[in-house]
Amino acid sequence: MRADASHDGDRFSGERPRWREDFPVRWDEDNYMTRRELAKFLALGSGLLAGVNVLIAYIGLAHAPPATQVLRVAGVDDVPPGGSLVFHYPTADDPCILVRDGSGRVDAFSQVCTHLSCAVVHRPDAKALVCPCHNGSFSPLDGRPLAGPPTRRLPRIVIEQRGGSLMATGIEV
Amino acid sequence: METRQQGSTLFSAILVLIATLVVIQLWLVAAALDALLARQIAVLVPTALASGALFTLSGGLLWYVVSFDKRLRHGGPRG
Repeated sequence: MRADASHDGDRFSGERPRWREDFPVRWDEDNYMTRRELAKFLALGSGLLAGVNVLIAYIGLAHAPPATQVLRVAGVDDVPPGGSLVFHYPTADDPCILVRDGSGRVDAFSQVCTHLSCAVVHRPDAKALVCPCHNGSFSPLDGRPLAGPPTRRLPRIVIEQRGGSLMATGIEV
Repeated sequence: METRQQGSTLFSAILVLIATLVVIQLWLVAAALDALLARQIAVLVPTALASGALFTLSGGLLWYVVSFDKRLRHGGPRG
């Protein structure tokens, strides 16, 4: 004798069919996620994201270039005033650009645009390092963004004159 | 003394807080990836530490709310 049986002997008890009481699978309840399950899911996701962040840090540190590396870039007179020279520092996968302005001052920066990593080129007429992809431009004096989408300055390559050579000795991010 | 109503409210509030922390962690992952591609190595360790701290906080909140819930269940209905 079922306690919830209706008094007139109908097959239905309230709004739920009686056969549902005996059927082992609860389809409607399977579609629900309890708050406790959601909290556990979120905490698990938090752990996964923390793991991804640690993995990214590990990859970055494992592939970090040596802190101090001295490399000859060019001779002092190889780049005329208003000219530029592309070189690679600290590895062959890191293109850089050396710029000499009209007064003879020499500066060097990473050639990789900080927006979407296109190569910047020197435009002496505009007095800027210009990224042709999205018309971003940077100052050839300190690498700060002047116009366009980039918001971060170009990393500076430290250049020292030793004898008759221009030497790259480090990177200032 | 705790009541079921208080427990339910607390659970909801902590759930929202954990979800917010997860969103911040997503932002940290995006920032770390951006820094990795830009070779800004100095950014990577702080983001990893911050993400770990947020995970610890999320885990602590989950532990607290589950223990609170358990205490409420074992204590029987009050209110």
